[in-house]
Amino acid sequence: MEFFLQVLLNGLVVGSIYSLVALGFVIIFKSSGILNFAQGEFLLLGAYVFLAISSAHAPIGAALLLTFAFSAILGLVLERLVLRPLIGEPIISVIMVTLGLSSLLRAIVQGIWGTDTRPLPSVFSLDPIQLGPLPIARGYLYSAGCVAVLLVVLTLFFKYARPGIAMRATADSQQVALSMGISVRRIFALSWSIAAVVSAIGGILLATMRGGVDGSLAILGLKVLPAVIVGGLDSIGGAILGGLLIGVLENLSGGYLDPVFGGGVKEVAPFVALVLILMVRPYGLFGKVRIERV
Amino acid sequence: MRSGEFHTSYRADMAIFDTARARRVLAVFLVVLFAVPLVGSSYWLDVLNRAAIAVIAATGLNILTGFTGQISLGNAAFLAIGAYSTAYLAAHGVPFFAVIPASGILAALAGMVFGVPSLRLKGLYLAMATLAAHFIVEFAVTHWDSVTGGVNGTSVPPPSVFGLALANDRTLAFLILPVCILTLWFAKNLFRTRVGKAFVAIRDQDISAEVMGVQVFRFKVLAFGVSSFYVGVAGSLLAYHARIISPENFPLSLAIDQLGMIIIGGLGSVLGSILGAIFLTLLPEVLRLLTSALSGQFPALVQLFAPLKLGVFGITIVLFLIFEPDGLAARFRRIRNYFRLYPFSY
Amino acid sequence: MHSIRTALLVLCAAAAARAQAPAGGEIKVGGIFDLTGITSDVGKPFAQGVRDGVSWTNDNGGINGKKIRLVDVDYGYKIPEAVAAYKRMVGDDKVVMINGWGTGDTEGLKAQVNQDKIPYLSASFSGHLTDPSKTPYNFFVAPSYSDQLRAWLHWVKDDWKDKSRNPKVAFFYGDNAYGKAPIEAGRRYCKEIGVDLVDEQIVPGAFQDATTQLLNMKQKGADYAYINVTTTGVSTILRDAKKLGLATKFGSNPYGFSEALPQVAKEAAEGVTGVMPHVPFGEKVSGMKRLMEFHQKNHPQDTHDALYVRGWTYVLVWTEALKRADKAKALTGEGVKAALETFKDFDLGGLTEPVTYTPTDHRPSTKTPIYQVKGGKLAKVAEYEMPRKSEWLGL
Repeated sequence: MEFFLQVLLNGLVVGSIYSLVALGFVIIFKSSGILNFAQGEFLLLGAYVFLAISSAHAPIGAALLLTFAFSAILGLVLERLVLRPLIGEPIISVIMVTLGLSSLLRAIVQGIWGTDTRPLPSVFSLDPIQLGPLPIARGYLYSAGCVAVLLVVLTLFFKYARPGIAMRATADSQQVALSMGISVRRIFALSWSIAAVVSAIGGILLATMRGGVDGSLAILGLKVLPAVIVGGLDSIGGAILGGLLIGVLENLSGGYLDPVFGGGVKEVAPFVALVLILMVRPYGLFGKVRIERV
Repeated sequence: MRSGEFHTSYRADMAIFDTARARRVLAVFLVVLFAVPLVGSSYWLDVLNRAAIAVIAATGLNILTGFTGQISLGNAAFLAIGAYSTAYLAAHGVPFFAVIPASGILAALAGMVFGVPSLRLKGLYLAMATLAAHFIVEFAVTHWDSVTGGVNGTSVPPPSVFGLALANDRTLAFLILPVCILTLWFAKNLFRTRVGKAFVAIRDQDISAEVMGVQVFRFKVLAFGVSSFYVGVAGSLLAYHARIISPENFPLSLAIDQLGMIIIGGLGSVLGSILGAIFLTLLPEVLRLLTSALSGQFPALVQLFAPLKLGVFGITIVLFLIFEPDGLAARFRRIRNYFRLYPFSY
Repeated sequence: MHSIRTALLVLCAAAAARAQAPAGGEIKVGGIFDLTGITSDVGKPFAQGVRDGVSWTNDNGGINGKKIRLVDVDYGYKIPEAVAAYKRMVGDDKVVMINGWGTGDTEGLKAQVNQDKIPYLSASFSGHLTDPSKTPYNFFVAPSYSDQLRAWLHWVKDDWKDKSRNPKVAFFYGDNAYGKAPIEAGRRYCKEIGVDLVDEQIVPGAFQDATTQLLNMKQKGADYAYINVTTTGVSTILRDAKKLGLATKFGSNPYGFSEALPQVAKEAAEGVTGVMPHVPFGEKVSGMKRLMEFHQKNHPQDTHDALYVRGWTYVLVWTEALKRADKAKALTGEGVKAALETFKDFDLGGLTEPVTYTPTDHRPSTKTPIYQVKGGKLAKVAEYEMPRKSEWLGL
């Protein structure tokens, strides 16, 4: 029982990071209908930039702000240069352009920083906090906290802030939004920068927890896809829940099935769940069902 | 003096080669192509074989994605199924002329199974389902040790013709090139038939296609089957060519590469698959030549080769999508038309 | 059009540079390294060691006056890339031998290497490569992974003070040929010496989190655990173990344990033991002198580790073989193999144990030093020599 609880708890905290990254996907998809396969690279780049700034002896707060600024600009620039020319192109082109972008960004990171693990100054102590009988890593607690805060902030943003409402309007119908005087272009740009910043937060959290940054952080971009899809591509709540679900599923299957199959189940289980869920609910658990007309 | 092309019958309009000259050019090209294995160095023969295999796989993917409009990120998985079928069958003494089609059929069956979700899923969601297929197949080949050899991989005996083993790139080229040409000829013809036209109708608007009497689900699954058959055949040849196959031969990046090929070459064009596959096979080789020539002066280049390759791939995809979304095939047609009507082209 | 012409010109120049006829008496040696793949954390210092060893040799008389040209490539730890690189090196560059890297690619290429008669010295110490009746052209410079694991298990047995029960051991290994190489040997040796193997946990090639694996291991109550992945992975496991507050004593294979480990894993590395067949950089042994001199002369700012030393020892071994083969007027694959098999306690000045190869046994040595992290530094704690049992050949 203790084992089960421990695995469950671990799944929830790892899942909270997935939720965070999944949020980035959803924000972009919600407004512009693009699934950004370069999200993992946003995360990677954020972590590296934070590393570069903080290793120049900048205080952590300043390093964080600079990293966010960098990510926001990155999101803007990419949207303007790469994504905007592709508005209205078939889905395959849009998927491919973000895949191309992910290769390009990964190459840039590798070219500048190489493939070594770069140590990051420890922010959290490695000693676990005891939750009753269960030890839990500090880093994960912070990340769970971060996700909770972001969730509240984003929900409020989409509910009350003008740009947030404009983003929802754009997601609902671009034409109507345009005729209401909303600049759809600006909304797209905004969503890309918000997503880039959210990813950077995820990247920094992960990197500090692991004590270092290397290229394998970008894998998160792929690992989180099942969470996004399971939750439904256009639902913020779905992304959060999907992240937690996938985190738990991954850890439970890792805990109970990996010893049976000799490893690897942990990695594949989210994708099996993805196929099964899509079979039953083609738009994910909370995604909006689209009605097609000719 | 030629002033243009004028087809006077439907038959002429549907012909594979619109002019007699195209037929002659192709004949010369084929003769030259088959002369290459006789003279090429082992390195370039390796590249030639890999390019030919990539052409088959890209054509298969283009049938599914370019012609039928079903996005698949699972191509590497179907390649793996073809390759491992070949490894298994060949190790049990089945001759290559049975192994290659059998591998194709096994891959086609797998493709049709994974194609079933396409009934309900579209666009991004379908892409995700095929991505899941990739990871599931990867898990299977990594852990089904008794058949696949697990992470250590498995070795493939060379195909043999009348007791002569095709164990090097030179002899293997005489197997790979004909298979490649055969599959291309079939693909070219496929889209002159009812089935091919049904595929295109589904791509353009599946609901309209259904209204017009195309059984959408049947043809979608069929498209998955035909496409995966091609990819399975490519996988089979890949296994014969590599001689050792392991799960690492079939990473997700391979599927992305192949999508890149049809994007760069041109979606929905057989010629595009050929050009794109050749382009993306040659690109890293050219880069390698450049870096190895310059690595004398800049030793750091050896280390930069991997990111360089990745980055050039990425930027090529992005630039093509922005500036030449119809791919190399469209460019090729424009150039050809320019010369066809020369000097009165405009 | 202009840009196309320029590109073509550059390409022609490149091709020409490549085709330049080798200067008289040049010996080409292939190098297949991992500089960007999942083992690049340890692959890079090794490659640097090999390159520096080659330049040092070329500066100091070469191979009886002939220069070595290292044709090297980064294969990113991908078997297909290694196979392609091998084809190029043997088919086009006509190398006489190859200095390789990983277990998966080396074992994948072993049939090909044998067919082409290309001596293949790889940085994989897989026990499967030690039996010349199966792999006549494969060599390496260290005790085999299997002997290393046996030595570490032996240390566990000695370290275990509670005589009321056997120590419980777990294995952590990567889901690849390198990770799995010594496991079977380890399983059998546990039974032989009375160590209870209670758990085996497999981790993926690149991973961020080993918590579930560690929790599983905790369930089984392992007192000791041997980690068979590279430094980055070892560090992740150690840090996650620390986060969970585990009391298990960890040990590491030689690609997870060097000066770099305490730097990456920080306080989580304290007390961890590791197999170190090659001495740390800067160790006071006679063989270190030329490394220090080269280091001072060429890149005094760089930091090096035991992996760099390992790269050097490879070059020292195969250049000696090339010299012997050259003297015997047999500078071919077969000649180099024969020369290697004349090695009898070939002394490397303490950088690693003396090397012996015979036509029936390619185990260079069976003596394994074990180090421990104490106060962030590596200190030697024990050394075990395994018997050269014939039934262990190739296991």
